[in-house]
Amino acid sequence: MIEFRNVYKTYDNGTKALRDFNLFVDEGEFVFIVGSSGSGKSTLLKILMREELPSSGEVIVDGRRLSTLRHRDIPYYRRSMGMVFQDFRLIPNMNVFDNVAFAMRVTGASTKAVRKKVPYVLGLVGLNDKARCLPKELSGGEQQRVGLARALINNPSMIIADEPTGNVDPRMSFEIVDMLNEINRRGTTVLMVTHEHSLVKKFRRRIIEIQDGELVADSGSEVSYYA
Amino acid sequence: MHSFKYLVGEGFRSLWTNRLMSFASIGVLVCCLVLMGSASLISVNISGLMNWLGDQNVVKVFLEDGLTQDQTEEMKQNILNVGNIESIEFVDRQQAYESIINRMTSNPELIMAIDDTGSFLPDAYTVTFADLTRFEETVTLLESLPNVYSVSDKRELAQKLQSINRVVSVVGIWIVGLLFVVSLFIITNTIKLTMYVRRLEISIMKSVGATDWFIRLPFLVEGMVIGILSGAISFGLVTYVYITAMSAVSSVLSFGMISYSKLWVWCLIAFIIAGVLAGAVGSLISISKYLNKEGGLSNA
Repeated sequence: MIEFRNVYKTYDNGTKALRDFNLFVDEGEFVFIVGSSGSGKSTLLKILMREELPSSGEVIVDGRRLSTLRHRDIPYYRRSMGMVFQDFRLIPNMNVFDNVAFAMRVTGASTKAVRKKVPYVLGLVGLNDKARCLPKELSGGEQQRVGLARALINNPSMIIADEPTGNVDPRMSFEIVDMLNEINRRGTTVLMVTHEHSLVKKFRRRIIEIQDGELVADSGSEVSYYA
Repeated sequence: MHSFKYLVGEGFRSLWTNRLMSFASIGVLVCCLVLMGSASLISVNISGLMNWLGDQNVVKVFLEDGLTQDQTEEMKQNILNVGNIESIEFVDRQQAYESIINRMTSNPELIMAIDDTGSFLPDAYTVTFADLTRFEETVTLLESLPNVYSVSDKRELAQKLQSINRVVSVVGIWIVGLLFVVSLFIITNTIKLTMYVRRLEISIMKSVGATDWFIRLPFLVEGMVIGILSGAISFGLVTYVYITAMSAVSSVLSFGMISYSKLWVWCLIAFIIAGVLAGAVGSLISISKYLNKEGGLSNA
């Protein structure tokens, strides 16, 4: 499903973000991506979202070569993935319902579809009773669940979570990863960047570690990295 | 259709959400449009004045003394054959005499003392030219005709009118062009600020797969609404000033400004088009720049 083949990424300022990076993630996998700051994790996600192109090498997602993807096709490619951000990225003057609905509306969904789908997804993340609340009225964990609902609303085949537990307390972090786990169990591929080794340990899923732009460790499917 | 309604609604919502900024840009754009409109109306009126002065700029072709009736008639045809003649009218010495007496509000007796029949004055043809740019050429041809005593030559005035007309046209075009660029700059900056305020929304839109046109349209609507409102306000202001100026000018000067009833439809269309154009082009410039350079997913 996701394949990085000998990918190098060097920015204009000379920073080498990825070096000879090779990775294969199968459909329906759950992968933790770990590594220190500046190791290349963000670049990996940017390339996956087709915000950046590799300097060399090939990235193939669902059979699509990202380097040959036309500019006008990028939005449609992005609809196949849902993004969860560390800082939640909720629109402050929109309530929970509208924040989730926003992702549907801007991809051209009808009002009828929005009214039907949003309550369902809010139910999945346990926020139906908070639909009319503004983000500032929610805890960090609840805000991240709204972010998760927004990522799920367009039925993506893949969820990319960029340190989704970075701004929430440990108990809520566990709940969020548990939700991602549940989403993965229903068939959605999940890539989660994290610094929290306790979570990685706890959930025992595939772990890849990046250092200085290189893939230095890959636990393989469902094995214990810390064993 | 549903998406279009949503996007247009978003444009209006953004206009209201950023109302202070929208109000400021409408204010500045109105100033530009009023200046542009005024420059254009001044230019149109000066052109009208040129035409009016041109109409006043009659040339007198004085005839030799002692011509027969037939010879005088033949002279009319000769003058018309020169070309560039818009109108021609015969003024005999008696008419010329009466005209002079009528214009002399004080001491007409001085003229009457010379002769009370006007026999000392020559017969003349009063002609106006169709094309003032060919003034000199036409006067030279008239002077070369047989039985022409002299041609009253106002070529200096004609030349001055020509050069004033040229300067007014060039300056007018520059003023309008320059102010249009200023208007574009104002709209571009307003939309840039709006986009900065809404960068989080843009980043989310991009991350969930909104197309570039879907992102652009609300900003385009916002820019165009700012333009239309500015155009309408400018039209109102200019109309008020023009009508006021018209009555003031007509009470002071012998010529009148062009009637606003002939101009208002064109003015309204021009203001709205200028406003919409400034809004649309300004918005598209800033959105394209933003989406290409800064509007990344991680720049929220």
